[in-house]
Amino acid sequence: MKSKVEPLVNLNINPCKMCMPMGSATAFYGLKNTMTILHGSQGCATYIRRHMATHYNEPVDIASSSLTEEGTVYGGSGNLKKGLKNLIELYHPDIIGVMTTCLAETIGEDVPGILNEFQEENPQYKDITLIPCSSPGYGGSQYDGYFSALHAIVSSIEMEGTKNNLVNVLTAPISPADTRYIKAMLKLFGIEAILLPDLSENLDGEHDKEYNRLPHHGTHISQLKKMGGAKLTLELCSFERKNSVAEYLQNTYGVPYVRLSLPVGLRDTDAFLKALSDISKLPIPEELNKERGRYLDSMIDSHKYNASGRAAVFGEPDQVYSTVRLMCECGILPVVCATGAACPELLKKVAPEIEKLRNLYLTEAYKIADKADFKDIEAMMIECKANVMVGNSDGRRIAEDLKLPLVRRGFPIHDHVGGQRLKMLGYEGSMEYMDEISNYLIDTIETSFRETLYNSYYKDTLIDTKEMEVKPMIDSREEEMKRKTLEHPCYNCKGHKFARIHLPVAPACNVQCKYCVRKFDCPNESRPGVTSVILTPEEGLSRYLAVKEKMPNLTVVGIAGPGEALENWESVKSLFEQIRAHDPKVTFCLSTNGLKLPLYAEELARLSVSHVTVTLNAVDPHISGQMYQYIRFMGKEYTGDAAGAIMVANQLAGIRLLIANGILVKVNIVTVKGINDSHVPEVVKVVKSLGCFITNIMQMIPVEGSAFEQVEPISNKRLTEIRKECEEIMPQMYHCQHCRADAVGTLTDDKSIELKGFLQEEAKDSQPVKTHYRFAVASKSGVIVDTHFGHAKEFYLYDYLNGEVRFAGKKKVEQYCIGEEHCEEKEDKMESIMNAIKGCNGVIAMRIGMEPSKKLAELGIKPVNTYDMIEDAVKKAAAAM
Amino acid sequence: METENYNKNILDARKSSIVITKGCDGKKGGICCDSNSVSGSVSQRACVYCGARVVLNPITDAYHIVHGPIGCSSYTWDIRGSLTSGEDIYRNSFSTDLQETDIIFGGIKKLEAAVDELMEKEENVKLIFIYATCIVGVIGDDVDALCNMKSSQYNIPVIPVKSPGFSGNKSTGYRMACDAIMKVLLPYRGKKKRKAINILGDFNLAGEMWIIKNYFKEMGIDVISGFTGDTSYEQMIEAPRASLNIVQCAGSSTYLANRMEEEFDIPFLKVSFFGIEDTTASLIRVAEALKDEEARKKAVLFCSKKEAELTEFLSLYHKNLAGKKAAIYVGGGFKAISLIRQFKAMGIETVVVGTQTGKKEDYEIMEGLVEPDTIILDDANPAELETFMREKGADILVGGVKERPLAYKLGIAFCDHNHERKFPLAGFEGIYNFTMEINKSINNPVWEFVS
Repeated sequence: MKSKVEPLVNLNINPCKMCMPMGSATAFYGLKNTMTILHGSQGCATYIRRHMATHYNEPVDIASSSLTEEGTVYGGSGNLKKGLKNLIELYHPDIIGVMTTCLAETIGEDVPGILNEFQEENPQYKDITLIPCSSPGYGGSQYDGYFSALHAIVSSIEMEGTKNNLVNVLTAPISPADTRYIKAMLKLFGIEAILLPDLSENLDGEHDKEYNRLPHHGTHISQLKKMGGAKLTLELCSFERKNSVAEYLQNTYGVPYVRLSLPVGLRDTDAFLKALSDISKLPIPEELNKERGRYLDSMIDSHKYNASGRAAVFGEPDQVYSTVRLMCECGILPVVCATGAACPELLKKVAPEIEKLRNLYLTEAYKIADKADFKDIEAMMIECKANVMVGNSDGRRIAEDLKLPLVRRGFPIHDHVGGQRLKMLGYEGSMEYMDEISNYLIDTIETSFRETLYNSYYKDTLIDTKEMEVKPMIDSREEEMKRKTLEHPCYNCKGHKFARIHLPVAPACNVQCKYCVRKFDCPNESRPGVTSVILTPEEGLSRYLAVKEKMPNLTVVGIAGPGEALENWESVKSLFEQIRAHDPKVTFCLSTNGLKLPLYAEELARLSVSHVTVTLNAVDPHISGQMYQYIRFMGKEYTGDAAGAIMVANQLAGIRLLIANGILVKVNIVTVKGINDSHVPEVVKVVKSLGCFITNIMQMIPVEGSAFEQVEPISNKRLTEIRKECEEIMPQMYHCQHCRADAVGTLTDDKSIELKGFLQEEAKDSQPVKTHYRFAVASKSGVIVDTHFGHAKEFYLYDYLNGEVRFAGKKKVEQYCIGEEHCEEKEDKMESIMNAIKGCNGVIAMRIGMEPSKKLAELGIKPVNTYDMIEDAVKKAAAAM
Repeated sequence: METENYNKNILDARKSSIVITKGCDGKKGGICCDSNSVSGSVSQRACVYCGARVVLNPITDAYHIVHGPIGCSSYTWDIRGSLTSGEDIYRNSFSTDLQETDIIFGGIKKLEAAVDELMEKEENVKLIFIYATCIVGVIGDDVDALCNMKSSQYNIPVIPVKSPGFSGNKSTGYRMACDAIMKVLLPYRGKKKRKAINILGDFNLAGEMWIIKNYFKEMGIDVISGFTGDTSYEQMIEAPRASLNIVQCAGSSTYLANRMEEEFDIPFLKVSFFGIEDTTASLIRVAEALKDEEARKKAVLFCSKKEAELTEFLSLYHKNLAGKKAAIYVGGGFKAISLIRQFKAMGIETVVVGTQTGKKEDYEIMEGLVEPDTIILDDANPAELETFMREKGADILVGGVKERPLAYKLGIAFCDHNHERKFPLAGFEGIYNFTMEINKSINNPVWEFVS
């Protein structure tokens, strides 16, 4: 079941962003021989590693200062310094990025200060560059963390003063494959550049013969130092940021800069290549012009497919912006543009692009949002009727729900392989990207057009065929009913070879019939209302299963009290459900006084109860009222005519409902001399008109202690007369045996008394036989012997009996050894262990010390040392006894 | 093995947590475990919050609100394979997404507004968990007080989960989650008992809870509630009626079992459904504990049938797998022990074994099960795993997805035994999957090209 959750203002539901340290760690991965450490709880590093490892499919090692409670209260500088030392010892890095977390920032850690102290205290590490990077989890998204790290790198590194001929190339977050594209282009134009960062290899490495755990590719520190002397900075990022590295280099070192969007799509790739051409003073090579031509050609080839695209684009701001530009060139209309980051400029920048295309297509609304969560994105997609999603893997749940294709780009891609190799830069990268989207759009039409068109236009007279199909179903149901009735001993006098079981799960009653005394244990009597014991539904099930095994002709399970079945509804329901789970065929029947029948008639049908017996002694309220001392209905007690009126109304309404639901109804009429004996034919007429199957007219048998104790029963002769008279109206039952509430067997052969011993035993615990071994087993896992005798907090007791091993319970003990220092003085605790295992023949533990072994031996308990599986250990120990 | 390689790759502070030749038993203090991670060592462990989230998150109709900055919520959003047969609210990740201003002025107002809005806009909110992450306590948000207030205001349980990452390790988080569960259950103390069980420490990864429940159905044993795989609020609060609890993931849920025994008088049994032996023994033992002879008979019959069905399959694969060497690095001791035994059954020797949160006794058992020169390590880092897997010539690593790329870089096969997997490893069905998983990777042609 899909739960409906609405977008909320005060809660982010399903984040479309991650936290700052994620982005910072990624950026540091673009530097050679560089490690990072997160100053905070252990979990942050682990979570970030897990996400990066699944996206890049590379080992990702990020250390943590593993702040503890103490560090949080008294400051974490000790942890951080120790962490740095360990990190250096394990990885020998040239650079360490020291990133903060929300915890470090909140407790006010002065990371630059701690790093200075560290280098003063450890002159041996003076050659290692430590770069403090502020990246509190609450300070922004991973996008912000990425730029924060770039800024920290450039501002922490001491630049060489001399001018050089290099070009700084700064990129917004892109994949390693796209980084390789940038490098290839720079090379093509002969531009010597310093890439910040260069993720091309550290996060998409080859399979080397030798694995080197330190990221040993990327931009080297010696290169980074030259950034201040470069002739130009090229910043490939569409958004002006406060902490722009290009601006910093210009302001600090006078390096001029050019800011361009990422080279995605035609216009921005053109601009990028033109810039490279300008810098290198070389013309754009012919092969790139050809690539451009092919891309343009492909845009034309797929433009009509693209025109059906209504895309939802989401992810980091640069990725969203560049994707929108590409789409608006090739005819895919972005109807939802969203980023989880705070980026109000996104709206300003993408709106004109989309507006233009929308006007061309004369079409629908679109939405742009920053600080969006996936719940917002989903709502916008539904509103704007998006038909394709373009963004990171986290959109997959919406894609699944809305059954839309998801073209994966950005971070994270953890449900597909190759996230690190996805391309969107340059003409070729753009072409791959566009083709992927176009093909999904084509697939969507291809896989749905037959069905869509069929559903829209194909009309036929389906109604006739439906009717034909339904009919056999009714037949088979009637067939089933017939079989069940034939096999039901109470509904068919030829059914006597079939056995039934009455399960006494219904003790409570809501009426007091004047002729009834409900008794619990009177094996000498055989009447309704009498039973030896009340069963729980579970016990009912076991009794059924046990009896079924002994009586294969058992076809009917009935509930006939001792109280009123419907007054014990939960038990009855549970019993039927449990038995049905075991036996799909067995017939369910039930007896009721009918008072609550209107409430449960439909439920009974649902539980596949096929036969119901209703005791209906009168259809006249005044007569009916005389049959009951009182009735209890809806929390009130009624007597006399009121009781009669309620009874009759409910009984008749209930019978109608039963019959409407296809249940076979037998009506029992208890005939009481002078009260309803002459009213019986009237009752039979009414129930006949309702559609009942059979009536069973019975003598009232006076019972000691009941209100009708003194009333004389009608004679057998009179009974036969009444039955004969009524037979003219509808079929009569002549073979009723007045069964007990726990009757078992065929009508003529009640086995309930005979089976009593067997039935009781089944409920009882199995008695241990005297000639057996009992072992106390020290186990923590409960599966294998894995605990020291002295450490055991409890023992598992096992019985060994003729080759069989049986779990016999658990026994708790007070520990006598809770660590070495306590051991000696707790010697007296031995007592409590010995108490726990008293009566055992042996003790099995992973280890039992000398002293305890001796004591055990004195008590005649055999000590066994092992770490086997419990059952095996017990068998072996028993064999050794 | 105090070789140069060893000294180069292993931090001094970590040496006491690594056992090269026998010695877990503690003559000289034994293996160092159950302690804080060594700072800077690149531990594979997560945090308290992670532990709490693992245990609680599978409750399907609860609203799990993470109070803190976005990361904690983002990194744990629906990445585990816990399945549902009912509602799927738990698959959403709700966060108060705290910002700089909230850090300065406190986040409690935001949290309160969030709960109010949830109650106003969502239909049928039955249960809310509020996870307090690292900075919540530091900025002075009183989550407990807010939860109390909202519980009584809306008359539903709004339960705080104390899980600041720094307040211990993952096991602390398990305890916090168990405490939160007990807060939900306590009002239902004193319900009438019936013959039925609860299954603790199973999170319905890849439908494992369903598989186990099917077995019990086969035996005629009624299961009231799981903790917490595929469990709803309504099922949970029925749990105090059970006559027996069984505990599958002992590391996370023994504490809960103990508390349920104290409060509701439900005894518990530890069980394992990994491997034929464990599954068979566990099912039979549950029937015995319930003194249900009928169920016992059915279990014996059922398990021997299943075992017979497996024979041919296992002997087929045995040929392909016997003689290989395995490295194990998993979360808890219980799982590691069970893996060593399962590998043994396949004819595979375990040469490196470690866990994130194993206890001393777990390590002693492991030592008993493996060859004397097997490396045993607690809270290992990538450098150690790399060193020892190479040293010992492991053919396959069983671990979580963080460790996967390392294995691959070293040219070693890999099997995911973590919460993210999409194939069941429990029960008889799990034996097929586990064996095939191992074979798929270990006997893949790609390794021919790596020398």
